Amino acid sequence: MKMIIHDLDQQEYAAWAEAPQEDVTVISDNGTIRHCTGCFGCWVRTPGVCVLKDGYQNIGELFSKCDELMIISKCVYGSYSPFILNVLNRSISYVLPYFSTQSGETHHRKRYDHQFALSVHFYGEGLTEAEMETARKLVAANSVNLYSTGNTVYFHNSLQAAKEVLA
Amino acid sequence: MKIALINGSPKVKKSNSAIMLGILEPLIRTGHEITTYHLNKKPLTPEQYRELCRMDVLVIAFPLYVDGIPSHLFRMLVALEEYMKAEREGDIYVYALINNGFYEGRQNHIALEIIQNWCSRCGLHFGQGLGQGAGEMMGFLEKVPVGRGPLKNLGHAMQGLAGNIHSRSVDESMLFSPNFPRFAWKFTATHSFWNATAKKNGLKKKDILRRL
Repeated sequence: MKMIIHDLDQQEYAAWAEAPQEDVTVISDNGTIRHCTGCFGCWVRTPGVCVLKDGYQNIGELFSKCDELMIISKCVYGSYSPFILNVLNRSISYVLPYFSTQSGETHHRKRYDHQFALSVHFYGEGLTEAEMETARKLVAANSVNLYSTGNTVYFHNSLQAAKEVLA
Repeated sequence: MKIALINGSPKVKKSNSAIMLGILEPLIRTGHEITTYHLNKKPLTPEQYRELCRMDVLVIAFPLYVDGIPSHLFRMLVALEEYMKAEREGDIYVYALINNGFYEGRQNHIALEIIQNWCSRCGLHFGQGLGQGAGEMMGFLEKVPVGRGPLKNLGHAMQGLAGNIHSRSVDESMLFSPNFPRFAWKFTATHSFWNATAKKNGLKKKDILRRL
């Protein structure tokens, strides 16, 4: 299964993307997402699922079923945009609370014996070199913590340019 | 000088960001007007955004989330950029206090860069950042004097940060782990925190490990 998380307006995305496909799961902003409250409930109350039932509680489980995760996000200060960040904040049930040490750094242990490929398409006008460098580091760090098979990062000067590449 | 302490933790109950701000506040209290802002229950009001534009110093404290900034704080920063562009008149210096759940404080470096990039977009001066590793230990060390034992690094860094805030100086950021062995931290976190918390919720270790 391929998974796409994007921050585009839903109608705009629907008009641009191909017809919905069975093996593609699309996560977009329907205005109901709540932010992570730091309760750790997805680790120690309802393991694997977020306790906030707003339609975005199963992100970790969805990660465990995808082979390819594509993120389409405006690049904001070298980070993902707020909605994409919100989704990723709600995805931590994909891993376990327990720690492992890799290359001298602690990370969370895997919950699933599973990996996916991670690609991120950042768009935005006038991105600075510093912002792009930060964004590359952010995706690389996420890739380590999500145990992805690798990561690729693309920058597009505008949303339109991103659409042309991805169409 | 007008100083804003911004608690960017999403936790409603006592947060590690509040603990860090609580350590800093007495060190910078004298001679300054300090206002604290919380983002955990509801967004800031337009008037609060305008107040932040009239500050001399912003201190932003938050936990590291997925190698970056928690989304609710990030939304606030994006909104504040617009207010800053429209309403800021004087120079504002920004300092960051970050705590992360991993042992190594250096894992806060990307979040610090994001704050620096935000400052550039807003026309603010980035002063300094402190990044504390093993942040979840903080709540268990309240009786330990800051600057001693596991909080030795934090104490030294806080003293330096307080001095820099007083003089609105720019200084090297400091990312550090607690003065506590990593293996002992890992053991304690596993058994006294994760497993113990799950047990209170009626769960066993096999429940924590479940796959869906």
